[in-house]
Amino acid sequence: MTPLVDMRGIVKVYPNGVVANNGVDFQIEPGEIHAIVGENGAGKTTLMKILYGLEQPTEGEIFIKGEKVLFKSPIDAIDHGVGMVHQNFMQVASFKVAENIVLGHEPTNNIFLNDKKSVDITKELSKKYGLFVEPNAITETVNVGMRQRIEILKILYLGAEILILDEPTAVLTPQETKDLFKAIRVLVDQGKTIIFITHKLREVKEISDRVTVMRNGKVEGTIKTSDATKEGLARMMVGREVFLDIHKKKMKRGGEVMKITNLSYVSDTGYAMLRNVSFNLYEGEILGIAGVEGNGQTELVEVLTGLRAPASGSASVEGKAVTGKSPQEVRLANVAHIPEDRLANGLGLDASIDDNLIVDRFFKPPFKKGMLIDSDAVENNGRKMIEEFGILTPNGQLPVSSLSGGNMQKVVVAREFSSSPRILIAAQPTRGIDVGATEFIREQLVIKRTEGTAILLVSADLAEVMSLSDRIITMFEGEITGVFPEAEKVSEEELGFYMLGVKRQSKEEMEALL
Amino acid sequence: MKKFFTSHTVREGLRIGIAVGVALLLGFIITLFVSEDPLGAYKAFLLGPLSKFNRFGDWIEESITLILVGLSVAIAFKANLFSLGTEGQLLLGALVSGTIALFVPLPAVLRIPLAILAAMVVGFIWGWIPGYLKAHLQANEIVSTLMLNAIALKIYDYFLIFHIKPPDAGYNASDFFPNEGTLHSFIPNLPFLDGIHELFSDKTNISIMVYILVVAVIAAYYIIFRTPFGYKLRMVGVNIKFARYGGIDTKKTMILIFAISGIFGGLAGAHLAMGIHTKLIANISVNMGFEGIVVAILARNNPLFVPLTGLAYGYLRAGANVMERSSDMSREMIFVIQALIILFVTAERILPMIQKRVSERRENGKEEKKVTEKKRGSSEI
Repeated sequence: MTPLVDMRGIVKVYPNGVVANNGVDFQIEPGEIHAIVGENGAGKTTLMKILYGLEQPTEGEIFIKGEKVLFKSPIDAIDHGVGMVHQNFMQVASFKVAENIVLGHEPTNNIFLNDKKSVDITKELSKKYGLFVEPNAITETVNVGMRQRIEILKILYLGAEILILDEPTAVLTPQETKDLFKAIRVLVDQGKTIIFITHKLREVKEISDRVTVMRNGKVEGTIKTSDATKEGLARMMVGREVFLDIHKKKMKRGGEVMKITNLSYVSDTGYAMLRNVSFNLYEGEILGIAGVEGNGQTELVEVLTGLRAPASGSASVEGKAVTGKSPQEVRLANVAHIPEDRLANGLGLDASIDDNLIVDRFFKPPFKKGMLIDSDAVENNGRKMIEEFGILTPNGQLPVSSLSGGNMQKVVVAREFSSSPRILIAAQPTRGIDVGATEFIREQLVIKRTEGTAILLVSADLAEVMSLSDRIITMFEGEITGVFPEAEKVSEEELGFYMLGVKRQSKEEMEALL
Repeated sequence: MKKFFTSHTVREGLRIGIAVGVALLLGFIITLFVSEDPLGAYKAFLLGPLSKFNRFGDWIEESITLILVGLSVAIAFKANLFSLGTEGQLLLGALVSGTIALFVPLPAVLRIPLAILAAMVVGFIWGWIPGYLKAHLQANEIVSTLMLNAIALKIYDYFLIFHIKPPDAGYNASDFFPNEGTLHSFIPNLPFLDGIHELFSDKTNISIMVYILVVAVIAAYYIIFRTPFGYKLRMVGVNIKFARYGGIDTKKTMILIFAISGIFGGLAGAHLAMGIHTKLIANISVNMGFEGIVVAILARNNPLFVPLTGLAYGYLRAGANVMERSSDMSREMIFVIQALIILFVTAERILPMIQKRVSERRENGKEEKKVTEKKRGSSEI
């Protein structure tokens, strides 16, 4: 049987010299759900961009249903039934949902747009594929899950037979992920074929029929999902044994380094995002903050690092107040910060990797030499970091924007870890990055802890918080709802109750535990 | 060979060269249609600035102004701050340096440096204001700098008309500056240089500002690319949130960027007053402050390219002047041709597109070897 998609010998070399795909052979059978996994920078997205016509391969051939094709643009791809749902939705925020779905191919009654017909089309598609949307809602008001469904319906409307989903679950809640998987199965029942890019091995097991593992721009292998184990896949992805569980020695807790007392923060819209938050942070521990995103964690981190000023309360590092201080003063108190949103805060995308690595220390020797910045020192530092932290790039003079997501995060981590901080505030340190990099960053966190750094870990990944932390605090609607001094003794379910505000400890209970 | 093509500077040069070439061709086609003597007119345009020695002088003098205002704009633009305040800084720089040149009874060795320094200081202050307004009151810099330009113009006119102009003068201009307040020719008056000195000082006003300019270009380059302050400036330009997160005092940095940008604007004013006109006249700036935007954008805000783009743009303007005076081409038509050239050079997309094609084809040829070596056998082309 001829495969539905047959990509042969695909090579892609970017103008900056990065070899993203190096002789990739990749086949898709009709009607299957095919997962592609691999670390950041393994070449998954590039391969799919080539299949979708966004990038042209340097070498290699593509066959769809046995017919050789040459996609110059996504328009060619969609003509052959290939559609892609991107990580960033491409929608007009102020349009109605139905308008976004028919965008570019709007039904008309000869002269004017036929609004009613758009809505009908949307309803029909929505019903047929079991992807619920509200046709008349304004797009910016609907939630992320629905926006993703809009995107899927959009390519179905254009007649896509092969749907490429690029890390579709990265932005979804667990419930939305479940709904998405249900929808994917309906699509397959209707004769569609799904290509599913992901980092999450659990999802591979749950949804896919076959899985292709990519590493360093090559295919490591394609196997039936039923024959694959998580450990086996992880090994193929990074090419060595991976310890998904973290081994760490018993905590040796030192003195108190940070004290947070009755911290409150009110957003610009007048909403109390932090209410009387108090806790202490000790040398040599990892204190995890568990909570559903949007319950004040972001605000807490930004207040502690000087990016926002609190409404009341205080935080001090070794007795010196840091609240209301500038980020610079907080940094000078030896506090490092891995920000939640690396693109907005953590990096200057158009600046070089070398420049990005010195933003907290350019004014110190060896970078400052007399009146000037010593460019050799900057370059050496960059070279050292790139090697030490395994940042995948030909050189440090390239802009950070040329890196893949995981490698961008490594730049942030390299800078913050190498500043030998007393306190490290890590917000979502492994979000959206691959297994290898995740493992590396987690290991580094444990090493820093053993060295005596006090670490405040904020993560939406509950498993991460539970496996890394020595103590855990749960947050719900800007308040601390529970304190768990021994992280290993609390179950996921129990934490869940506190994270959702179902249960909460009394003030006295918490004070006793803190 | 590969190195040659990938070299940023060479590509940049090539890019500009092709753009200018195409624009000149289009300009010539326009000239063919509107001029009785298209060849003569276009020759005046292309070769005019070199046809007479005083025209050569005009070109260089104007280019000095353009380069200084270009540096001023480049510093602010590099930090992603759209300061349009160079015009006002230039006016006040001219006013202050001119006043000192006219009235402060010091010998030349003291009076000239004092006047230049004062122009720089007033530029610094006039730049500091919109910086402060933006950093602390979130005032949009485009609006505030334009307002300050208008204020500067009124201040200039007020002092010129009511205090500096001799009461019996028929038009709004000061007396000529005394010799102690004029910038001297850049060729020193030494016996063995007699002939050259005379030639230059008789026919041109190319002054010692040339030397100050060299220092200014190097200083601007170092400020942006080699100093800790420059690092801050560039990071503010790349992503101000990142700069703040990283511990850079973004407010202070922003204010200083505006102020330092102002220094170069003030210097341009001193050049206009003491170097070119050697008196204060109404409308001394003729909007030169805004021409700095073109010069800076053409140079991609890199101070080392500013002299090149300043000279090139100056040549264009000088050529247009000659063409206007010596042919039947109207001023408007010349503006069209000028605009075409700028449009083509700043059309940043044209050559990168060609470049991408070329580099992809080149890679297909060259990288092919590299890749097949790596994975010999399995890929057949």
